[in-house]
Amino acid sequence: MSLERKDDHDHGAWIEEKDLTPIESIYLTTLVWLDERLRIVDYLEILETLYYRVNMQMPRSHTEQYDLDNKFWYWYPLYSLGSFSTLAYIVAAVSGALLGFYYAPATAGEEATVAYRQIEFIMLDLNFGFMLRSLHRWSAQVMVAAVFLHMLRVYFTGAYKEPRELNWLIGIVLISLTLLFGYSGYLLPWDQLAFWAGQIGVQMALSVPVVGEWVAQLLWGGFSLGPATLQRMYIVHVFLLPFVVTTLIAVHIGIVWIQGIAEPH
Amino acid sequence: MTEDTDTDRPEGDADRSEARADGAGTAIVPPDDETPTWRERKERKTGLARLTYEYFERARREDQDLRQESTYVERDVLGFPAWPHETIRNLAITSFFVGMILFLAAALPPHIGPPANPNSTPPVILPDWYLYWSFGLLKLGPFNPELAILGGEKLMADRTFGVLANVVIVGFIAIVPFLNKGSARRPVEQPFWAAVGVFGVTYAFTISVYSVKNLMPMDPHLLFDLTHLLPFVAGTITYALLRTMREGYMYDLNRRYYRLRPPK
Repeated sequence: MSLERKDDHDHGAWIEEKDLTPIESIYLTTLVWLDERLRIVDYLEILETLYYRVNMQMPRSHTEQYDLDNKFWYWYPLYSLGSFSTLAYIVAAVSGALLGFYYAPATAGEEATVAYRQIEFIMLDLNFGFMLRSLHRWSAQVMVAAVFLHMLRVYFTGAYKEPRELNWLIGIVLISLTLLFGYSGYLLPWDQLAFWAGQIGVQMALSVPVVGEWVAQLLWGGFSLGPATLQRMYIVHVFLLPFVVTTLIAVHIGIVWIQGIAEPH
Repeated sequence: MTEDTDTDRPEGDADRSEARADGAGTAIVPPDDETPTWRERKERKTGLARLTYEYFERARREDQDLRQESTYVERDVLGFPAWPHETIRNLAITSFFVGMILFLAAALPPHIGPPANPNSTPPVILPDWYLYWSFGLLKLGPFNPELAILGGEKLMADRTFGVLANVVIVGFIAIVPFLNKGSARRPVEQPFWAAVGVFGVTYAFTISVYSVKNLMPMDPHLLFDLTHLLPFVAGTITYALLRTMREGYMYDLNRRYYRLRPPK
């Protein structure tokens, strides 16, 4: 036996003396190697603390208290509408990113604008382009419908009540932004319907007393529709709103995760 | 200070006797093994930070007291857990839904109209279907009051009135949680708010129909009246039905409750 003091921090020797399977020793070696450089353990500890903080001890739910399980199951589909709208949002995001490869928000051109021609190209010439646009449009429609129904479910089951008022307010903001998402996307093909829907939008903005003209300038790029309108709607649709809405959805779902699903009493 | 740190500083003994502020012997606080408690942290603070820690201490005590007093079964989560129960259940339903989106996209492809032409107004101008309600609210001109003070003039333009109606409705929906409080959840338990909800849904539908009045084969005045009467009818019927149901329902619920916990 050696007279040298045993080194408590020699993790290599510790791993040696343990009887480990190859998978275990590879895992442990990697963990130690990373931890010596990055101190992962600290972060794991923080995560663990967070986990226990979030999973607080809570009262029995009313489903259990009143033994309602047998009465409750047929409401389940209504409780998945929130997930469903998130899902439709993801489908729309993916198909939208693909559409973005081919679309250009330009109003140049004699008969039809570049934007319109590009939509025509996507629908007629591009492989699977028609399906792509169809998918994007339908997932958007479905998302709006699901968000509306989700709001109704929350209303009629009283799920907005204390302590969930804040999430209700975030939901109101989210549904408004979803509608704005839909509206800005509706303008992008720059066909007759899009143009005149844009016209209604500008008129609505202009009829607001104090801030109206400013909003019209900011969102539609002027008091009448033109190249600036299409450009701005495009940026709103593919840059501004995706960031804001994705963040808000994350917060919205995070709060649901922390508070749990509200069951009808 | 341990001996190790003193060897770095030859004048260590002199330093320790008096506090110096010239930066030579920085006072190194030895690392503490223990994390400071809320009380200790609080006592080091003043002002707002102290208030914060005082609140934390209170909140923790409150949690603990409530937990000790509680007769509830100990659980890890509040309500129905989002993960994994809700998520896994939803996966089955949502994979069905994605299939539905794909099917819709394949079966009902979208349409593209003629290119934009600022010089010719089309006979039908419409937003997407989910904005019909908002579009309909812009046509509420008949409700815009003519004030006697202004000599029969309207206070604001009809279109301003319409935009205002949008703001009022969204604002009302937003403050619902602050108007309707209490622990009642089911529509039968609060017929009034259920009736308000049914009124809202019906109105959203009728105002959407009204927004496309030029496509409806009906006298626009009659349509306007129906648009604003039907929601009241639907709301009233809902209220009457739920009031009737409530008594029997609450009896049933209470009976089940008291069977579970008989009164002392």
